[in-house]
Amino acid sequence: MSCANFDLKAYLLGELEPNRAAEMRAHLAACQECREEFERLELTRATLLVLRDEEIPRRIAFVCDAAPGGSWWRRLWAPGPRWAFASALVVSLAILVHGMLRSAPPPPTLDAAALEQRISAEVERRLQSSLRQALAEAESRQQERFQQALAVARQQWEFQRKADLLAVEENFNVLKKRMNVLQVHLASNWEGGVR
Amino acid sequence: MILREIEDRELVRRARRGDIESYNLLVSRWEKRVYNYLLRLVSDREDALDLAQEVFLKAYQNLGQLEDAARFGPWLFRIAHNEAFSLLRRRRPEGEPEGEPAEAGLRYRLYPVEMALAVERALNSLPVEQREAVILKIYQGLKFEEMAEALECPVSTVKSRLYTALDRLKELLAPVRASPS
Repeated sequence: MSCANFDLKAYLLGELEPNRAAEMRAHLAACQECREEFERLELTRATLLVLRDEEIPRRIAFVCDAAPGGSWWRRLWAPGPRWAFASALVVSLAILVHGMLRSAPPPPTLDAAALEQRISAEVERRLQSSLRQALAEAESRQQERFQQALAVARQQWEFQRKADLLAVEENFNVLKKRMNVLQVHLASNWEGGVR
Repeated sequence: MILREIEDRELVRRARRGDIESYNLLVSRWEKRVYNYLLRLVSDREDALDLAQEVFLKAYQNLGQLEDAARFGPWLFRIAHNEAFSLLRRRRPEGEPEGEPAEAGLRYRLYPVEMALAVERALNSLPVEQREAVILKIYQGLKFEEMAEALECPVSTVKSRLYTALDRLKELLAPVRASPS
């Protein structure tokens, strides 16, 4: 197979299928011209990588809570307003029931004070229950977000670590190659001087 | 990588339902890559940051149009590409030849500084499509197919731009590599 059939750049960029990559390795071992060209490309890539990513000057974040493409009732029932809406509904119903019961003449056998006490207790119980539920949900959401953020931070750290190691390795290789060139120059100068 | 794709897909799904925190998480994952892609294309930090914000806003507004949620990355780069080229077109009127956008020169803290500057100059001397191909492949690590998706062009075009750019960079950077430090 002639050299033209081997895509050195695709190999360099990790785009060859495993079997084609194996063929390429065999070819590189046998063909000095391609090996030299590949080395030049590798050095070019290593040189390009001296430019590192910068940190973004300001983090980007969104606070708008309009659901893209969501229906109005879904937006209304989104996690944020859900509990406020539910609590308001419970309180309104309680007040309404309470008001109706107060305005109606008490049945002769019912103790008004006891009834009022029971309603107040019921309202209190429902409010407490809603509050507890809302708190539990908020805590769970918070915990979930924290875990997600932690996972992302871990991933980013790991990625950065690998990138740093790669950069160090590549810089080291470049340095090594430069040292070799320098040594060759020195050796040839020395030989020239001796002659 | 597969796990990451699944996670992105899940976050996109939640964001579509209006969960803004999931979207913010997606933003925090991608903002640095998008910012650096834009920075190397437009060579100006303020412009790059403004564009990045615009990109994420447009992405949020159009999340419903993303057909495959697992392809969020290439789709995001497509939006970034459109935004960047729109700015570059505004900056450079039609027909005017490309020049060295060196005035807004970037400064990198990495040693050796001379080499970084030479790389920057070499990149800026490329036609913008070729520069973009190098940025997406060498710096952002996209696969050919993902690049084609982001740039809305065939893989053959992507390869042609990238290969031409690499040949040019090889020539431009050879003296830098050969010069004694």
